[in-house]
Amino acid sequence: MNVMGLLFYILLALMLCFGVAAVLMRNLVKAALCLAGSSACLAVILCFLAAPWAAIFELSVCSGLITVITISAISLTTPYTKDEENELIKQRRTRYIALPFILLIVGVVSGYALLNGQTSLMPVMAYASTFASFKEVLWQLRQVDILGQIIMLLAGVFAVVVLFKERDEA
Amino acid sequence: MMPIFTAILIAALLIIITGFFCLTQTRNLLRVIIGIEVAMKGVTLLLAFAGFINGNYDLVQAFIITVIVMEVVVAVVAAGIAVRVYEKNDSLDIRKLTKLQG
Repeated sequence: MNVMGLLFYILLALMLCFGVAAVLMRNLVKAALCLAGSSACLAVILCFLAAPWAAIFELSVCSGLITVITISAISLTTPYTKDEENELIKQRRTRYIALPFILLIVGVVSGYALLNGQTSLMPVMAYASTFASFKEVLWQLRQVDILGQIIMLLAGVFAVVVLFKERDEA
Repeated sequence: MMPIFTAILIAALLIIITGFFCLTQTRNLLRVIIGIEVAMKGVTLLLAFAGFINGNYDLVQAFIITVIVMEVVVAVVAAGIAVRVYEKNDSLDIRKLTKLQG
């Protein structure tokens, strides 16, 4: 196996580890940072999978903007007291203890099924030249997607404005 | 060693399961956002993998960018809702959302 192949496996493992850590981490800020780490690993994987534009978006938006939004929301709340935190730790232990076992079982079963199945996953490079370029796809073939994105962004802005509007409590 | 494409599929499946597990088990509104985001990482990986397999990289990149924009909108609106809920109830615990009207 070459160095790039090994790096790809390491990135996949890191992405999964950061994702699981984001879910299992008690501290919400650390969980948000783990999520950012998972996004950064995914961005590099996207580069490997010949999707550089998606990688740039993943790194800047998911790893940057969403982390900032999450940490901003966390900073607007107050931390738990010691007693509440101890109680929460006990509850979390019982609720999340099944996750590693579920992941292990699903990983082994799906790995066995995929390795012993009849499916062959090989890239079909021969068709690649028949498809349109990224610029043509985004601005000519998927114009409705762009329109949908703009509408969703405006809807998001509207929702935030409504949510944070000062209300007359009287 | 396991073939690289099999490893991608398994990693994507496991990360989606992790996100859904978080969604089912958590009682904290901010952790719900984290669960959704984790699951979306797996979906993004599967999309990129699908494009790589059939050679249609550019169409898949357009899809991934759409997914990322939707992720941001969902995260922003969910964080806004979580903050408002915290201001009203002094807690992010979803079990304490008993005063909803409608």
